[in-house]
Amino acid sequence: MTHQSYLDICQNCVRRAVALGAEWCDVSAGSVRDISVTIEKTGIKTADAGQGEDVAIRCFVRGGMGYAAATGRQPQDIDEAVERAVALAKEAAPDPDFKCLPAPEAAPEVEGLFDDAVAGMSVEEVVRIAAANIEAARAMEPEVNLSGHVGLSVGEGALASSTGVALETRGTEIDADIEALVKRGADTGFFYDFDFGRFLADAQLEAVSRSAIEGARRFLGARRIASGRMTLVLGPLASAGLLGGIVGAASAESIQRGRSYLCGKVGERIASPHLTIVDNGLIPRGARSGAHDGEGTRRRPLTIVDRGRLASLLHNSYTAGKACAESTGHGTHSGGISPTNLRPALGQRTAAEILREVKEGIYLESGEIRPDPASGDISASIDFGFYVKDGQIAHPVESAMIGGNVLDLLPRLDAVSSDAREEPGILMPTVRIQDVQVAGTE
Amino acid sequence: MEDLARHIADLARKRGATFADVRVLHRRSDSIMVQDGRADKLAAYVDRGIGVRVLVGRCWGFASADSLQPSRAEQCLTDALALAKASEKFVSDPAMIAAVRPVVAEDRREPEVPPAAMPVKEKIARLMEYEDAGRKAGGSALVNSIVSYADGQREEVLANTAGTLLKTSGCRAVVNCLMVAGDGRILQRGVEHRGRLGGAELLRQTEPEELGRRAAEKALALLKARPAPAGRFTVVFHPSITGLLVHEALGHNAEADGVWAGQSILEGRLGETLAAEAVSIYDDSTLPGEFGSYAYDSEGSASRRRTIIDRGRLVGYLHSLETAAKFDAEPTGNARADSYDSRPIVRMSNTFMGRGTVAVEEMIRGVERGIYLMDGHWGYVFVQKGQFICHAGQARMIEHGALGEPLRDVSISSMTLDTLKKIDAVGDDFEMKMPGMCGKEGQSAPTDTGGPHVRVGDVVVGGQHAA
Repeated sequence: MTHQSYLDICQNCVRRAVALGAEWCDVSAGSVRDISVTIEKTGIKTADAGQGEDVAIRCFVRGGMGYAAATGRQPQDIDEAVERAVALAKEAAPDPDFKCLPAPEAAPEVEGLFDDAVAGMSVEEVVRIAAANIEAARAMEPEVNLSGHVGLSVGEGALASSTGVALETRGTEIDADIEALVKRGADTGFFYDFDFGRFLADAQLEAVSRSAIEGARRFLGARRIASGRMTLVLGPLASAGLLGGIVGAASAESIQRGRSYLCGKVGERIASPHLTIVDNGLIPRGARSGAHDGEGTRRRPLTIVDRGRLASLLHNSYTAGKACAESTGHGTHSGGISPTNLRPALGQRTAAEILREVKEGIYLESGEIRPDPASGDISASIDFGFYVKDGQIAHPVESAMIGGNVLDLLPRLDAVSSDAREEPGILMPTVRIQDVQVAGTE
Repeated sequence: MEDLARHIADLARKRGATFADVRVLHRRSDSIMVQDGRADKLAAYVDRGIGVRVLVGRCWGFASADSLQPSRAEQCLTDALALAKASEKFVSDPAMIAAVRPVVAEDRREPEVPPAAMPVKEKIARLMEYEDAGRKAGGSALVNSIVSYADGQREEVLANTAGTLLKTSGCRAVVNCLMVAGDGRILQRGVEHRGRLGGAELLRQTEPEELGRRAAEKALALLKARPAPAGRFTVVFHPSITGLLVHEALGHNAEADGVWAGQSILEGRLGETLAAEAVSIYDDSTLPGEFGSYAYDSEGSASRRRTIIDRGRLVGYLHSLETAAKFDAEPTGNARADSYDSRPIVRMSNTFMGRGTVAVEEMIRGVERGIYLMDGHWGYVFVQKGQFICHAGQARMIEHGALGEPLRDVSISSMTLDTLKKIDAVGDDFEMKMPGMCGKEGQSAPTDTGGPHVRVGDVVVGGQHAA
């Protein structure tokens, strides 16, 4: 039997779905192979490996969507999935807002998505990276309790549609995420760090335990603070979470359905002029890069927030059709909308300079500052934060929280740093917001 | 499926594994989404595969494949053995396994209404009733409504080198309702969900009034609510918030894999009094029909009820075969894997606080100024620090012993051990309606949680203005 390529599988499924009555159809198929080594109690706990293939069929009849997915590549499973997707599309309610699936659009390949060095790595080499982290940790902090993972994944896949889209992709990723717990008597310091890349050369995987331990040491000696209004400085990891949440609220699906706090704000100022956020899925070697999105639309850089103004929404083909606009290339194959590599515009002064100007505040190194997607309200814990007094970090903070509404906070954002943590394709600067309500227990 | 599982387990024994287990899984699920009056997204999923876990010398290896072909299954075994051997010299804490009592059994839990027995059209019609009830209650303030339903059947075979051969099958169903309301000034969301061990009978058992209408009423009520104050308050937890406390703050800390790894604040505390005397906390996977229930865990240990806190005293952890060996304890049937491609890890099932003796009205009457937290949405925990966070969708001020104005979007953050000791009243009521998927190490497990109302002194509330 001839071994079918993933593109062959996709195109065969599309033909069959159309023959069964699908008016529009696209199919993705692919495989992933992964290795994961788990660290626990500063040693290796287990090594896991998996490989899997899947096929996902999306069909539309009068705009109603039927979707079916199957793992493996058994012909009978794939045939059944095609039949099921078409049958479900026929049962779904017609949706007049559905216009069409994307037409084929040629686009240059994005460089650096697949690294032969990662694809060719053996289990022993992944184990060696985990072991290097363990050894470095023991040398630095003999009693540290280290846990985490080192892993890689190698994938390839294809997408074909009834409009003629025919794409093949492949990619690699390697990553390490490490948590460190250090103790001094009854005092506990805990923190984590990570690194990742599509290329082995882009990640400093063996150094992750060092930075995790340094972080854990900084969080020793946490103290309670009093409630009050003060300055909030979001370090790179914390700012990435907040800004990612804002971009998520700029999904055209949420806006068109009327459930986002950014409804009615396109073109309006939502933040201070210091804030510009660009989404760019075309960065070579970028973590979320690719020439096309999950529906086959060509990706392009998109400025979402432009000097404080909500400039653009993220569209897939459905929302773009509904709005008589062009898709921005943020569609997923299952019908969702997803950002790619976020790159906030950098400011004029370094993170250290921004912090030095703070009279009293919180430096949040990492934390879940996620606004409610409808109201924009924030009620969040200071998970990994420090109290700042007269421009200096004074001590880590225990049992304190931040409250506010994101649309009240963003106009008070008065600085974005000129330096940033950089991960493949992604920029994470330090951001400062004035006059934030902090609840403490002192 | 069972021949394949038994064959690979036999082969593992012959190839020198100290212990091995093989799980073969076949799963089908369907989902329907109704949004803004249209059921325009229908989906179906099928997956099947095999996972092989081996203990060789001092280390575990695990490999999986999405195929039931014997050659792929044998390759998984070969890979798992190689993975374990490749890691062994870097092991600092040798793997162990409790004595396994072989189980040869079949447990089939047939739902009252199997998913395929209810036509898609009938399911859609029922979801539309839920949405209609919400839209009627929400009126012109309603801007978006989503009702989604999913059911899934799972058939699994487990074989291990101790001689276990276990065939299980079961079904779960969930229905969720989101109503978003706006007044031109702000948007608010109301959420309701139901989940059961069972099939499409969930749709017959769930009335439109208790799902769609309640979700819409929550959203409307929140439009009139003001932001919460910030600071320290005496708080009264609704059972859904008690559930978050029990699951996030205590339950995760009682998972023995984390305790053994030195990542739990409950390490070395067995036998100690850690909570108020009125507090008893259980994990019970035997409760009929509850979302977190099951007959056997993913290692073949039978389900049971476990007491974690008994009248304030820590009396037990949740165990897998490995942690039971390390703690010299009995396995408790808490090892769960979410699919064939994941290892069993220690998980909760249905975790709850036992009923107390205080009437809710009395509990509130005793608060001069505080906050009543309701509608538990989400939570998370840092077991290493003993810190947890819970988010309440709704709240009310308590002023002079009576419920006052409504509040919106309130989270609390606290230290687990402090909070358990500060519980000064446990209600005489009980509710467990928090079916959900609990995440740990990249895996999801169906769980439920709940309890009575409780009152806790001095908790920090993340509000928007000074108290």
